[in-house]
Amino acid sequence: MSHLKLISFLSLIFLSSNLLADNHSVILIKNATIITASDQGTLENTDLLIEDGIIKDIGKNLIVNDGSEIDATGKFITPGLIAPHTTLGLQEIELEAETRDDSTDHYSAGFSIAKAFNPASSLIPYNRAGGITSAIITPSSASGIFSGMASAFKINGALMTESMIEDIALVMNLGGNKDSRASTIMSLEDSFEVARRFAMKRSSIMRGDDFDFGDYSIRDLDAIQRLLKQDIPLVVRANRASDLLRMIEIANQYEIRIIFAGAKEAWRIADTIAEESIPVIIDPMDNIPSSFDSIAARLDNAAILENSGVKVLISSQSDHNSYLSRQGAGNAVTYGLSKEAAIKALTIHVAETFGIADQIGSIEAGKDADIVIWDNDPLEVSSFTTKVLIDGENMSLMTRSKRLRDRYLEKLGLN
Amino acid sequence: MRRFIHCMFSLIFIINLTVISSTLEASSEAEMMNGAFQSTYKPDPSPKILIKNGTLLTGTGELLEKSSVLIENNRIVSVGSGIDETGATVIDAEGKWITPGIIDIHSHMGVYPAPSLRSNSDGNEATSPTTPDVWAEHSVWTQDPQYTLALKGGITTFHVLPGSANLIGGRGVTLKNIRSVTVQGMKFPNAPHSLKMACGENPKRVYGNRNTEPSTRMGNVAGYRKSWIKAKAYQKRLEEYESKSAEAKELEYAPSRDLELETLVGVLKGEILIQNHCYRGEEMAIMLDIAKEFGYKVTTFHHAIEAYKVADILAEQGVCSAMWADWWGFKHEAYDMVWENVAIVDQAGNGTGCAIVHSDSAIGIQHLNQEASKALAAGKRSGLDIDKARAIQWITLNAAKGLGIEDRVGSLEAGKMADVVIWNGDPFSVYSTVEKVFIDGHIKYENENVEEFERTDFDLGIIDPEGDRL
Repeated sequence: MSHLKLISFLSLIFLSSNLLADNHSVILIKNATIITASDQGTLENTDLLIEDGIIKDIGKNLIVNDGSEIDATGKFITPGLIAPHTTLGLQEIELEAETRDDSTDHYSAGFSIAKAFNPASSLIPYNRAGGITSAIITPSSASGIFSGMASAFKINGALMTESMIEDIALVMNLGGNKDSRASTIMSLEDSFEVARRFAMKRSSIMRGDDFDFGDYSIRDLDAIQRLLKQDIPLVVRANRASDLLRMIEIANQYEIRIIFAGAKEAWRIADTIAEESIPVIIDPMDNIPSSFDSIAARLDNAAILENSGVKVLISSQSDHNSYLSRQGAGNAVTYGLSKEAAIKALTIHVAETFGIADQIGSIEAGKDADIVIWDNDPLEVSSFTTKVLIDGENMSLMTRSKRLRDRYLEKLGLN
Repeated sequence: MRRFIHCMFSLIFIINLTVISSTLEASSEAEMMNGAFQSTYKPDPSPKILIKNGTLLTGTGELLEKSSVLIENNRIVSVGSGIDETGATVIDAEGKWITPGIIDIHSHMGVYPAPSLRSNSDGNEATSPTTPDVWAEHSVWTQDPQYTLALKGGITTFHVLPGSANLIGGRGVTLKNIRSVTVQGMKFPNAPHSLKMACGENPKRVYGNRNTEPSTRMGNVAGYRKSWIKAKAYQKRLEEYESKSAEAKELEYAPSRDLELETLVGVLKGEILIQNHCYRGEEMAIMLDIAKEFGYKVTTFHHAIEAYKVADILAEQGVCSAMWADWWGFKHEAYDMVWENVAIVDQAGNGTGCAIVHSDSAIGIQHLNQEASKALAAGKRSGLDIDKARAIQWITLNAAKGLGIEDRVGSLEAGKMADVVIWNGDPFSVYSTVEKVFIDGHIKYENENVEEFERTDFDLGIIDPEGDRL
């Protein structure tokens, strides 16, 4: 594992030095309203300087001698949005199983979804044009109680895309199955026990000593062990307040880090979640009591969580339209979330939660220049992107949707 | 012939009423059923209320600043400025926006209620590919908590359809968003029935997986046509019997009632409106040819992802399209979504297209204004000249047209039902919410008075015994 990391680290250095050598680039974006998603808050009439794919400076009246300038007067800039829970790059058509790579029947916790990521997926240009620049790609289901491991990718569309970080979180579901949730909890505890025993005797087992693996593979047990070592967190997809409380108990007992996803009833225990510093991924628009696990769903879930001090991350339920998290964030504001927190819920809160805030998630000097320029208030449904930059590179905003539109506008004589 | 006579007879009595509706059309069937399944909804007379100084999106294509709506006795009395306030309760709507009640032409509330349980999933009679005999209203659960959520989004009327598992899925029903223990008490008075048909993937998947017909799109088309052939034959038998003299009728039995064929004949007679789930452009064109072959009309294509590809044909034939702003990719026939679909359909045929924004979703129905806003913004970005005054029609008047009730709702016009929404701001903004909803002149939701809000039975004591769902 560390060997792999070293290689990717070296190749990163190699790539960056390449950039420096061949493509020294300077971009100055002038006179924008910059929503930094950092302590600096929102800055009016401010310039943003990008050098070699990195944010270099933010300030008034910045000047460059050599480089391209973008006038953003009247426009808004946010960090590139990060989809906190999506299958972007893992599917084309939801109902066509052959076009999907987000599930397996073979592996459990060790199911590493990064290996299936397709940077050329047809979903990516739509979502990039909608302002998404990075995605936490998350497996939907795997064998047993775990769904596998999530990874972080930038969606710049390059075929050579490397993950930002692979296997950054373990994922599981709780509730809503035919099997009792008690059984899920017990299986979870059992899996911890097996992983612990395996870790203690790993080298002897690898040399041939007997070990009762049960339903798990070596990959699965290694992944669970990483959770137990607090190397990675566990994303728990659950809605019922009592399930969330149960998982908090388990997290404290086994000293693991957890993240809630779904969490339609999280508002009922907002103070407890805040006390435990558990980040929560929600779709603020989903107020439907769609099962007895989400009877208390409501539109101000995000606002109540924020007021209690919970770190809120905002996701869209449709992976094809992961970028609609922005509409969710706008609605969360309508129902009481602060605008500042709404932008953070789409950016820096995601980066912090998944341990990539040193690179992305806010507009601060030294971070990757993943930024979006909007024609108006980025939380407003009628607004849209005018430019998307990933690592300072201007992304094409063309999509199949626009190509089809143009073809038929012409055919109908409406162009 | 008897139907004709009956219509003439009714006309004499109805002629003095302000609104002449398709009651006449529906009445022959109502008579055959001894008046069963009719709407029992009768609002109490409502007080005289003047909503003044608001920004009005009338639904007739106008935006009126600093204007007023006067409602009384369940109706809109007048719209505009300089209206006499005498005797009216005045609501100052300065800074607020006023629209007609929002109408969703595609909903499964009540037949796929929340919480979603096997025991209350009543929207698809997926036991045979053609079930024109089933009526969605006979599945509707009147205590679905989704109704009240939709009401807070300004929904005053919605159309509940059977699902799309079947080629011919059964009758849809138009409901007013009012609480009633009976579905008859929710039914929009004298709204035409609809018939749900479905193109494409869903029927062929559902029945193909069982190795029965249809398993292909051509199998789908054969299925529709076989049904219409039977309907034509039945219609002919009915007409032949009707044309006989009284003496001749005494000598033979009347043709036996046939629930399936009654519905189809209702369509052939123009009394029942076709609501056709259909994604792909070429399939819409095929469906229009089937309608041509058998002499009926498709009123609205639903989920019409590719309507933009045939927008000229749809405009020419006067067929409405009900669309999402941006849903796509959940199946292959939903792959060619364009963000400008609604706007293109609207502008086709020199602006004669009939575009409707629908939800098909208990979440989407609460924010139909936002869906319209996204569709409008996309249209503007592509250079189409559409304004809010026109775009509001996508969720009001055009939806009413698609349901055959545009003579009674869908716009702020004198004589129409007093279904009015007051918004705290521009309804095309994500930040705007509904302040008040009037249905037939009565306040049914008021954001300042949430405690008074009439919840469904399900909402009561469900989170905890003392509290109600909000």
